Amino acid sequence: MTENASTKKIMRGAVMVVGGGIGAMQACLDLADSGFKVHMVQKDSSIGGTMVMLDKTFPTGDCSMCMISPKMVDVGKHRNIDMHTLAEVVSVSGEPGDFTVKVRLKPRYVDPEKCTGCGTCEEKCPKKVDSEFEQGLSVRKAIFSLFPQALPNTRAIDRQNCIYFQKGRCKVCEKVCKADAINWEDTGEEFELNVGAIILSPGLNRYDPEVRQELGFGRWPNVVTSIQFERILSASGPYQGTVMRPGDKKHPEKIAWIQCVGSRDSNNANPWCSSVCCMYATKQAVVAKEHDSSIDPTIFYMDIRAFGKDFDKYVNRAKDVHKIRYQRAMISAVREEPGTSNLILRYADEFGELKDEIFDMVVLSIGFEPHADAEEFAKIFGIALNDHRFPATPPFNPVETTRPGVYVTGIYQGPKDIPETVMQGSAVAGTTMALLSEARGTEVVVKELPPQREIADEEIRIGVFVCHCGINIASVVDVAAVKEYAGTLPHVVYSGQNLFTCAQDSMNKIKDIIQEHGINRLVVAACSPKTHEPAFMDTMESCGINKYLFEMANIRNQCSWTHSKEPDKATEKSKELVRMAVARVAKLTPLQEKKIPVIQRALVVGGGIAGINAALGLADQGFEVILLEKEESLGGLATRINTTIEGADVKSYVNDQIEKVTSHPNIQVLTQALIVGFSGFKGNFTTEVLVGPGMYERKIDHGVVILATGATEYRPDEFLYGRDDRVMTQIELSEHLQEKGAESLNQVVMIQCVGSRNDENPNCSRVCCQAAIKNALKIKQMNPKTKIIILYRDMRTYGLLEDYYAEARNKGILFFTYELENPPEVNSSEGDLTITFKDRVLGRSLKAKADVLALSAGMVAEDTEELSSILKLARTAEGFFMEAHVKLRPVDMATEGIFVCGTAHSPKLISESISQSLAATARATTFLSQSHLTLSAVTARVDPEKCASCLICVRSCPYEVPKINAEGVSEIDEALCHGCGVCAAECPAKAIDLNWYEDDQIMCKVDALLEGAL
Amino acid sequence: MRLQYPANVKIIRLPCTGKIDLIHILRAFEKGADGVYVVGCLEGGCHYIGGNLRARKRVEQARKILDLTGIGGERVQMYNLSASDGPLFVQYAIEMNEKILELGPNPIKLKKDAAA
Amino acid sequence: MIVADKKPVEEIIDYVTDCKNILVLGCNECVTVCEAGGKKEVEVLASTLRMCFLNQGTEVSIDEITLERQCDHEYLEEIRDVADRYDAIISLACGVGVQFMAEKYHSVPIYPGVNTCFLGATEKRGLWTERCQACGNCMLAITGGICPVSRCAKRILNGPCGGSSNGKCEINKDLDCAWQLIIDRLKALDRLEDYEKICSIKDWSTDRAGGPRKVVREDVQS
Repeated sequence: MTENASTKKIMRGAVMVVGGGIGAMQACLDLADSGFKVHMVQKDSSIGGTMVMLDKTFPTGDCSMCMISPKMVDVGKHRNIDMHTLAEVVSVSGEPGDFTVKVRLKPRYVDPEKCTGCGTCEEKCPKKVDSEFEQGLSVRKAIFSLFPQALPNTRAIDRQNCIYFQKGRCKVCEKVCKADAINWEDTGEEFELNVGAIILSPGLNRYDPEVRQELGFGRWPNVVTSIQFERILSASGPYQGTVMRPGDKKHPEKIAWIQCVGSRDSNNANPWCSSVCCMYATKQAVVAKEHDSSIDPTIFYMDIRAFGKDFDKYVNRAKDVHKIRYQRAMISAVREEPGTSNLILRYADEFGELKDEIFDMVVLSIGFEPHADAEEFAKIFGIALNDHRFPATPPFNPVETTRPGVYVTGIYQGPKDIPETVMQGSAVAGTTMALLSEARGTEVVVKELPPQREIADEEIRIGVFVCHCGINIASVVDVAAVKEYAGTLPHVVYSGQNLFTCAQDSMNKIKDIIQEHGINRLVVAACSPKTHEPAFMDTMESCGINKYLFEMANIRNQCSWTHSKEPDKATEKSKELVRMAVARVAKLTPLQEKKIPVIQRALVVGGGIAGINAALGLADQGFEVILLEKEESLGGLATRINTTIEGADVKSYVNDQIEKVTSHPNIQVLTQALIVGFSGFKGNFTTEVLVGPGMYERKIDHGVVILATGATEYRPDEFLYGRDDRVMTQIELSEHLQEKGAESLNQVVMIQCVGSRNDENPNCSRVCCQAAIKNALKIKQMNPKTKIIILYRDMRTYGLLEDYYAEARNKGILFFTYELENPPEVNSSEGDLTITFKDRVLGRSLKAKADVLALSAGMVAEDTEELSSILKLARTAEGFFMEAHVKLRPVDMATEGIFVCGTAHSPKLISESISQSLAATARATTFLSQSHLTLSAVTARVDPEKCASCLICVRSCPYEVPKINAEGVSEIDEALCHGCGVCAAECPAKAIDLNWYEDDQIMCKVDALLEGAL
Repeated sequence: MRLQYPANVKIIRLPCTGKIDLIHILRAFEKGADGVYVVGCLEGGCHYIGGNLRARKRVEQARKILDLTGIGGERVQMYNLSASDGPLFVQYAIEMNEKILELGPNPIKLKKDAAA
Repeated sequence: MIVADKKPVEEIIDYVTDCKNILVLGCNECVTVCEAGGKKEVEVLASTLRMCFLNQGTEVSIDEITLERQCDHEYLEEIRDVADRYDAIISLACGVGVQFMAEKYHSVPIYPGVNTCFLGATEKRGLWTERCQACGNCMLAITGGICPVSRCAKRILNGPCGGSSNGKCEINKDLDCAWQLIIDRLKALDRLEDYEKICSIKDWSTDRAGGPRKVVREDVQS
């Protein structure tokens, strides 16, 4: 007994996430939402990473900050995420399940307990410093936050630039800080945390183009980096979104983007491809033109690597609609034209002719590279790096490192774009959950609330608190006058003012006043409900008052900040906003958030590599899984693949995984299974399945669905495929090599983009370039004498795959480009298989005989037409499932509780499919790990007495939620309603109301605003 | 950014412009508003898929009614912008304000004043 | 369903131009479904009128009520106590409702707020099309479920006429020839022999020609 107890390993229910970018945020949220305590350790003073610096994201043109800031708020307010900023890890000891991590906090010189983030210190600080966030294009202060939406919004003092620290006098910040938060004695802090696992997501560095003097960065003012250009485009950036060149603030017309700066250059810079630059350059060119139609962009590139989902569609639109010019050329030098500050680019065009072209501005598409201290960082955590100083990760689990219990994610693991980073953020969460599942829920904080006060019989008693926000509001608005005015409004029984209403002591005071005055409705006139509403609502709940009996008047953003030059008007408007808020709060009624139970069982559709891994990921955490496969056996497309490009054995991996799935006690595998019916909502689905060979019917109740229906190799009808045995696909070639070797092959020709990037299928199939190189290298290894020619349009060996492309060129494999309009010709007359293609540099046709012609056939989605209609799932024109949001929700489907992974989402490599399947597990666990889901109370509600069953709500709901029920009236399922209110606005019988936005709750504001206007 | 815009612009918050009802707009004019504008997300960028497109239709309906009643359809306007685009928000606020100043007060108000 | 369309507001204003107390009365049946006279339209019309009057500098009180149906006594009774207070009632019900109101409340002028158009179906939101003219003697059984009375411009019972070309009607090229539709439908049902049968002269006495009609059902009367 004692022996057992002492050897029993400790499992901790807490996880450390090192880093604060979008990938780290996703990992934190997934873990914290699944019952784990999370410690986020971020070296900067705010979380946000790279994404907060971007202007817009493609293809939607959504503003990057608008997308990420709600996620930042989610992280900030999550009771199970502790953020440690200006923090770094000093040492790690222990083992998986039980690590001890020593963390050092750098001195901030501002006490986060006292600071309310009002920003007055920053405004008054006399010292200006180049802003890191704005890439040196504008200035910040010595006491600062990285950007306006920074989280936490506690300012930090930059000691090196602080006048007091450097010269011993100033202390302006201390003088203006009404919260008394400046702490000159701050020396930082060291503490230890015990966690079960560690996730590393520190991101990468951007390449410093100043190293390459010939491109003129740092020398010619109108040469900027791509990240600087993002800030130039940004409406909140240094030029407020006006495209200007930094040198003379003139509007540039001709702008050149130079691709691969610092990337794909093993001689002078980094050998890998940075994966994101082709797309961001395209996006920047499109957005710049949208800002200013006179801009004429040119992108100088080697290969356009638009390998992601629907990326080629975006590039095609950039070319055809936005008239962006793409010029395949390497730029050898950038010189400044004397007098004009324009820039002369010298390049050899596709015909080899040397040209000089003048541009007004040049953007360098700089790539990623590991941080300078990558080795030391890896040493602290005890993980190994690869030759390029990225963490060494196995191909079949790209988030694992050489040290068990220490995981990596995001671009730190290898260059990737936003959706892949988010996906891998979830993936690493999934892997971590599997390790720590037994400790789930052991370290989380659970909110305990007093019972809600019944106020139905009470008279309306409104409390109004007007905030000074330090001097943010009070320096412009006459707060006392607003407070006085509030006291005269109907139903107001108390009005008060606070220096900082959101400070902890004020919150406590509010609680006391609520009790003392019997207040049952609250108005806070302060800042934005976007950031502060949740905190005040929490305060109300802790007093036993329904949190929906609350309204904010944003007299800071809408009055003092925006009418600071007209203080009288700002005060007058503040009064009006308070009057409107008081009118509304009087009309509000308590709303209850419904709780629905979750069926803790998952349905995984598709038994390929993605489905298998998703099933295992959930089953290993103790959840029951039903795995459906339409074929007789599991494995999917991966069963036809021998090895990965790295040489890992796919066949035996797949067999091992199948063995694990079939023998797992928590997994039930149903083969020859066909879904025929589907109903329910998140947490409570029912699926009807016909199961072969007898086709007996089964009804499965489950809480989530993971779609992993996969894709298959395109079957070409071009280039004599199917008519000549020597013409085969890449998969067939690898099977051929496995069986027959390469001895008989004198010459092999490969044609890329067969069935991809054409009119029928505009997309890139992503995997074919590396598949061709994998097979070509295999042939060279088997028979070095075989000559290999690869005919391609753009070689898309993104990320670290670029190594293999370089190796292929070094081994003498020949690469020729062709264009869509001018494809190679294949003839098989007189027994010879001849391929004719045009070489652009030579300017004439070349002929090559081949023993094998390998076609890099693209990937096509499995037929999911019926499935998608039964489950009501959106698909792209090419039949891939459409995720809820292309950037930030790459694994979720629009219907909550349904997730997608693997090639059902888009073509991808095995390691990427595995990554996404782990991500789907994590996303699914955020549901399955809870016994109940809490639904939003802001949903639409039908009054059956008034309903005319006209079907207009049914027709206008973007989510197909309203249904005409058995009583013949419309019914809106609150579990499915998204709360947009379109139905309420369209209902011709006025039978629908949106909770919290009922008609009279809106109209009373109109009435209050216009009181006395007539 | 704290950009300045005219203080006579007051904001009423909705979950989505798709929630705005024709009657909300009309009621504002009935009660004496000089102008109303609806600010939604960029077309194609609605969080709820197409709420802003519905809103545009309702603004057009309101415009017709305002023309008909002699109050003036130009007093109501739909704008689209992305949430981060402060400068554009300000530009629209100024634009709307200038237009309303040019049109003068809601004629209902003038009639009331004349009667008083 | 009875399909109605909104009446131009100018017309309505003309009716009530001298009134001081107006009731806008909606109907929660067909006219709600075709978005012409439900509670929402009542609000919009009332607001529009208010603005018109305010803009003329006249003080007018406008109330809004929407009844479940205006073609039933019991529902109309709901306004018994208030009807007299108004010097005009604008009914947004179909012509039936307007008349029924007028029959019931003699002291107040009742004005129509919609134009009643036809008996039709909602093809999609915002598009309604005619399907029935209530001839009182349904012959859809022999015409494959497509009505020549309501859908043939000439109401031909043994069509098509010589004006049918490429499946369209000579009256309007956007209009399908009803008889072409009937033939196609019968062909699909393999019932072309029905088409061969000459349709005998229709008894039009049940149609409008005989003046206002009645349906009497003693079996359900009390």
